Amino acid sequence: MSDWEPKIVSFLCNWCSYGAADLAGVSRMEYPANIRVIRIPCTGRMSPKFALAALREGADAVWVSG
Amino acid sequence: MITFKLNGKTVQGEEGQYILQVAEKAGVEIPTLCHHKALEPAGMCRICTVELFDGRRTRFVTACNYPIWEGMEVKTDTEAVHAGRKLIVEMLLARCPEVPLLQNLAKEYGIGTPRFKLENDTCILCGLCTRMCEKMGNSAISLTGRGVEMKVDTPFHLQTDVCMACGACASVCPTGHITLEKIREVISRRGSRLIPSEYDMGLKGRKPVYVPYAQAVPNTPAIDRDVCVHFKTGGCQVCTSFCGVDAIDHTMEDEIVELDVGSIILAPGFEPFDPSKFDSYNYAKHPNVITSMEMERILSASGPTGGHLVRLSDHKEPKKIAWFQCVGSRDLNRCDNAYCSSVCCMYAIKEAVIAKEHAPYDLDCAIFFMDMRTHGKDFERFYDNAKAKGVRFIRSRVHTIDPVPGSDDLSIRYITEKGETVTEMFDQIVLSIGLQTDPEVVAMANRLGIELTPGNFCKTDTFMPVETSRKGIYVCGAFQGPKDIPQSVVDASAAASAAGEILAEARNTLTKIPEIIPETNVIGERPRIGVFVCRCGINIAGVVNVPEVRDYAGTLPYVEYISDNLYSCAQDTQETMTQIIKQKKLNRVVVAACTPKTHEPLFQETLINAGLNKYLFEMCNIRNHDSWVHKNNPDLATQKAKDLVRMAVSKVALMQPLPEAELNVNQTALVIGGGISGMTAAKSLANQGYETHLIEAGDRLGGNARRIFKTVAGDLVKDKLAELVQHIEGDDRIKIHLNTRLTSVEGFVGSFKSTLTAGDSIEELEYGVAVVATGGTALKPEEYSYGQDPRILTSLELDEKFMADDPGLKKINSAVFIQCVGSRQPDRPYCSRVCCTHSIDNALELKKRNPDTDVFILYRDIRTYGEREYLYKEAREAGVIFIRHDRDNKPQLRIEDDRIRITVTDHVLQRPMEITADLVTLASAILPNKDESLAQFFKVPLNDDNFFVEKHAKLGPSEFATDGVFLCGLAHYPKPIDEAIAQGRASASRAITLLAKKTINTSGTVAETEPAICSSCGVCVSICPYSAPSFIAADARMHAGKAQINPVLCKGCGLCVASCRSGAIRLKGFDNDQIFAQIFAMTEAV
Repeated sequence: MSDWEPKIVSFLCNWCSYGAADLAGVSRMEYPANIRVIRIPCTGRMSPKFALAALREGADAVWVSG
Repeated sequence: MITFKLNGKTVQGEEGQYILQVAEKAGVEIPTLCHHKALEPAGMCRICTVELFDGRRTRFVTACNYPIWEGMEVKTDTEAVHAGRKLIVEMLLARCPEVPLLQNLAKEYGIGTPRFKLENDTCILCGLCTRMCEKMGNSAISLTGRGVEMKVDTPFHLQTDVCMACGACASVCPTGHITLEKIREVISRRGSRLIPSEYDMGLKGRKPVYVPYAQAVPNTPAIDRDVCVHFKTGGCQVCTSFCGVDAIDHTMEDEIVELDVGSIILAPGFEPFDPSKFDSYNYAKHPNVITSMEMERILSASGPTGGHLVRLSDHKEPKKIAWFQCVGSRDLNRCDNAYCSSVCCMYAIKEAVIAKEHAPYDLDCAIFFMDMRTHGKDFERFYDNAKAKGVRFIRSRVHTIDPVPGSDDLSIRYITEKGETVTEMFDQIVLSIGLQTDPEVVAMANRLGIELTPGNFCKTDTFMPVETSRKGIYVCGAFQGPKDIPQSVVDASAAASAAGEILAEARNTLTKIPEIIPETNVIGERPRIGVFVCRCGINIAGVVNVPEVRDYAGTLPYVEYISDNLYSCAQDTQETMTQIIKQKKLNRVVVAACTPKTHEPLFQETLINAGLNKYLFEMCNIRNHDSWVHKNNPDLATQKAKDLVRMAVSKVALMQPLPEAELNVNQTALVIGGGISGMTAAKSLANQGYETHLIEAGDRLGGNARRIFKTVAGDLVKDKLAELVQHIEGDDRIKIHLNTRLTSVEGFVGSFKSTLTAGDSIEELEYGVAVVATGGTALKPEEYSYGQDPRILTSLELDEKFMADDPGLKKINSAVFIQCVGSRQPDRPYCSRVCCTHSIDNALELKKRNPDTDVFILYRDIRTYGEREYLYKEAREAGVIFIRHDRDNKPQLRIEDDRIRITVTDHVLQRPMEITADLVTLASAILPNKDESLAQFFKVPLNDDNFFVEKHAKLGPSEFATDGVFLCGLAHYPKPIDEAIAQGRASASRAITLLAKKTINTSGTVAETEPAICSSCGVCVSICPYSAPSFIAADARMHAGKAQINPVLCKGCGLCVASCRSGAIRLKGFDNDQIFAQIFAMTEAV
């Protein structure tokens, strides 16, 4: 097995997924640390350019949730 | 002012100061072992020796007690000085070779083994202890003997009464010669003990000068007169030497302040029951028998063990913990608290679940209970989940806790439901203690002349749940009756509304306008960013290396200031931040702490107070998204925190000040639902002077209350309801709309517009706030042959028979009540809260009408919470027979030869028994009046059970997350009349907080078009769910036909921004360049 870990950039909606990520913390759930969250006001704000920029900057995956 | 030379530099000091004091101020370090700021210097250790040139010759003097004089020259750093100090340290080390302080000093001076004879002392005779003892006003110890015989001692080497065991000597001893143990064993004859920290339930000590807890408001230290040495001897006052702002005044006295008020709200709370008097539980004797309040502290991250689950006797991690319910509640044998404390079942389950989460191993949690009372919203689900997580629930009341000889474990013997006696061992036992009224509160109530209940709670009426027996005095919280946080918050709002109603005319007559801090214009300035990293106690700092993150932030571009705080949200930290922003002229702020969803407004307030636009701010979430979820990976978590800080810094540098639009709040209110809670809300709103429209889908007011016979207190609901309806109908500020439905809702907080449809007639209404009180209804049961026999009724149908005074009710031989019909089952996993009390009340009514009727109540858990418990006791005394069953073994009902036969397994006999009944009452569940269209109109959510979801389960029970929309009554959750009335008033109270403001500010993070680029394609106009974009009129002078966005309607979602083909729309606060900056900062550009 390779020990390669993907770098994930996530764009989370302030009202649902960002709150859910907060709740994951409140509930003391655990998940790998290779994710960086960018809070957006709504996934309506998400632009394909953001995803492309993240990939170009070296992200291995982009996760949009909302 | 005296001027002299210190190491060649000219320095100044006050007359009477010593060299050491001036040197300290000048930043010149002189070592000393015997100096203390609060004590007169004694020149005992001589390490502070310096070189003094008096104009003629050079001398060596001790800096600590040599007064300065004009023209003297002092040198602290010469070879001769160092040689002298080295010799002193060598001699001290020879005297006390084992003292770490001296070993370290010796290392600094390059001393190996001293050349002198080694002794085995630990005291360097610095005299700090004796001088400190004298300062305490006590002089229990002094230096005795002469020459080599000199030592610190008590008179005649005897343990003394004079010593108060205050510990001051030990606190200043530099070598560890005097310790607290030594004080106990050889100095004081009085036992020394820690001052217990009240906040930590005595599990930790605190100082006589203390802040009660980290988030206390105000966050100012207080002096505990009862333990402060100054108030015993007149001495000490050491604290005053350390206070830089001279804030300590030991002569302050209690003051009597007289206030003119129009009403009083009592919220004195409760005191936890003290189980010390229960000998058989060994609480007072055994450290591993603790109270639930102590358990709360042990589970808390800021508690005495830092959230680490250990038992107190040996700090071992417990493998098995038991909770005993009803300690100090539902108990007339061993205490006088006959009532149920309402909250203990739920908190015990919560503690058990959290304890299991905290333990890194499989912790066994067992809860011993009588009836499991999880009657609150979503509590039954929590109970079910706890069972699924392996918490054991054992229905048994345990009499004795026996210490296991030779160990710290505890042994208990209990009888299972099947009648078997079991002996089980536990590492720790938690007593779920009840709530009771403090005797001081009872005394206060007597002084105020307000009536109390038998349980010493404030007496209130079902229809006036926050009114005390004295006009103008209101009550909320646990003094009204034992209750949990949501109900206390509802009560608090209701009491505020009650007070507001009688004082409506005086509103705003004593208002002071807060000082508006002028906003500093930062446009065009180079960014000066301040980064504040929060430790959040140990929540963040326990995982993330906070100093490293802080220092890292200092390396980022434009960052001018960095710091870390214990609790960034604490009031004093906020004040400090305000000062720092002003002093350092910061124009952008980053707080790395918890989630912006809860704390952004707080920090934005800090910016406003510092004169900065609140949008020059960015939060990064290093707690919820980092330390809490990566607790086993501190290194990765620290790296992540740095990345998040870097991303936030690069975004905040691009933030611009944003304006907020101000809009008027329409001063009219709309209440939807004409039941008890809706009518109460309308009445409160009108009483406070607001025009209110009350709409009711049915043809009359009153809702379910019309079908309820009487209150627990015995009042006829019909009479009280008629009074309320009459009041509503007679108030011209309330417009009643019967047979009316809401068919459309437009607009937003402060400016809603709706269509009211009544048959063919349609009316438009504009209003500022809406209260949803759409109520609920009784389930029509599909089991127990309901509907097939007139003798099988629901609870409300039995009430109707009582109201009609049905003569048949006197002729019943046997009546059976079946509980939880449709409640607490997989498809409806909630408790309907009111049915146990209702059935018991009705059982008593049947007994009253005919004492010979046999009455059976077939129940799962009796949930007569609070003082409703008395009714349960009364019913048992009246001969009502209670038979318990469980969900998997429900009673069976069949009709044979026109007789109703019910079979149920008796929980005591463990055998099925048959009851022939003339009357069967089914306590059917309360269902919400599901209203999806209303949910969509106001964009408010429904939960899985179709009850509306409030803003916050605990802190916002009577309002929605949608601004301007409020909630009360059965639409929120099943509740009895008193609670529905309290929530009706609470929702009005919350609504009035908006109405009273008259204007509100909208968000600054809204979309804005750039008309020059706009192609007028219209995508934004069609796509926006809030109708914020529109076309500029074709005949407009500028930008005709281009899109524009109404900042009041815009919710800042950014949908239009992403959809704009021309790139003509930007979202302020989440602009393209700002988000790209975050993306680009993700990987470190080194």
